[in-house]
Amino acid sequence: MFGFLFKKQQQIETLIFNYIENFRKTQKLFSDAFTSCKSDPFCSDFDFLTKQTHKYESRGDDIRDEINDLMYGKALLPESREDIMRLLESVDKILGHFETILHIIKGQKVVIPDFIMPKVQELFTFSLESCDLMLKQIEALFSTQQGIRELVSDIDLLESRCDHIERSLISAVFSSDLDLARKIEVKELILMIGNISDQVDRVSKRVNIIRMKRIV
Amino acid sequence: MFSLLGGIFLGWSLGANDASNVFGSAVSSRMLKFWTAAVLAAIFVLLGALLEGRSGIETLQGLTQLTLQQAVVSSVAAAVTVTVMTVLGLPVSTSQAVVGALIGIGILNHHFNMTGLGKIVACWFGTPVGGVLIAIIIYKVLGAFYNRLNLTMIQSDILIRCGLIAGGSYGAYALGANNVANVTAVYVGAGMLSIFQAALIGGLSIGFGILTYSRKVMETVGSKLVRMDPFSALVVVLAEAVTVHIYTLVGVPVSTSQAVVGAVLGVGLVKGIKTVSRRTLVNIAIGWLLTPLVATGISIAFYFAVHLHYIPGV
Repeated sequence: MFGFLFKKQQQIETLIFNYIENFRKTQKLFSDAFTSCKSDPFCSDFDFLTKQTHKYESRGDDIRDEINDLMYGKALLPESREDIMRLLESVDKILGHFETILHIIKGQKVVIPDFIMPKVQELFTFSLESCDLMLKQIEALFSTQQGIRELVSDIDLLESRCDHIERSLISAVFSSDLDLARKIEVKELILMIGNISDQVDRVSKRVNIIRMKRIV
Repeated sequence: MFSLLGGIFLGWSLGANDASNVFGSAVSSRMLKFWTAAVLAAIFVLLGALLEGRSGIETLQGLTQLTLQQAVVSSVAAAVTVTVMTVLGLPVSTSQAVVGALIGIGILNHHFNMTGLGKIVACWFGTPVGGVLIAIIIYKVLGAFYNRLNLTMIQSDILIRCGLIAGGSYGAYALGANNVANVTAVYVGAGMLSIFQAALIGGLSIGFGILTYSRKVMETVGSKLVRMDPFSALVVVLAEAVTVHIYTLVGVPVSTSQAVVGAVLGVGLVKGIKTVSRRTLVNIAIGWLLTPLVATGISIAFYFAVHLHYIPGV
């Protein structure tokens, strides 16, 4: 009934959901690029998918800027402005990791050795699973408020698994016969994939704190 | 009309300073434009003064018998006290300054209503204590209700924003109803104004102070409240308004600043955190004790000063 009085707030809410949707699209493109070309960085789709990932990552930045402009145009309380701005900044770092991983594969022409491929795939899958849970959690923060705390535990569990896989992968790489330069190259890629779940875990905890702050 | 200038100046400075206690948090956090807050505050102050200012005016005018000259002296003495205390950096209550000035005149007149003074001093003690208690009650009740609503971040934001505007308007109403007596009650006591005229002129002068000079204070003093979480800021504004309104019904002008400090302390007690520093509390206590004493001294000094005569050849 009084919706017209809070137009800016409603716009912010809509833009946040747009940002989440855009994240999903970027994640899908990143996943396609990685899965199709992980063992062949010269595959035909890689360039296209990398460019598309970059395009959607930039679109995410634009939506974030629009949200910030609206928020600092006297919509929302200062505490909420800061919480939303910092939340989106943290989420944006994950999109940055997606891009960096693709650029490492492409720029350094990294080929993942076959003997670690299944484990890398597992690390990759868990990392993206944690992203899915994080998006659910953010959606809950701006809608039902239900299940946020439970999702923190689920994400934390996935992050621990990813850490474990990451360590075993690095150990396997340095126990192999690969030459040192390649070992370092592959290690860098593994660490970068591992950073996804680490950052997701940080975002998840931030979401929980934002919710807790609003309980009196 | 010239005699009223002291009271109008007092009302102006009261409006300029005390509006920050009701709308400071909303303005300094840029939730509300200054002009929207100032206009709302000025309207509600005037409404409060006209609708409920009578009891405070009756209490103050009954403290002592005044001539017009004494009314002007007490009014100017109160205004000077507020200025001196502000320059010294001590928190000052206009209500205490006015009563202190009236005590000075009462001493010189050898006439003072001690029962009325006792009631006023008891309320001075009760203002910060009332602020603490009411803040605790509002925090608990409103908090339980707020948690049950299970609001999203944006919904909670909208609710608190509306609450701060409504609470600020109510606070302005209470400020006008309670503090208008400080501005013009002495002129009613001197027989210069009727109660309605006093409420109207007092309300208008406070509103004028809000509209012309409250911006800086609102934007700086208000930010001290915003450092708390938004819900606590809302509780503080509401507790201050309710406390001041209760004393309006009792018919005693009190300090909105002391009510705010009490409310901030109350919120701190509920949350188990330190919201007011020891230094602030000490300054408030010093201001609380000094303001009426300084005002008494100044009003006596002014009274003697206006009765000095030049005797040629002596």
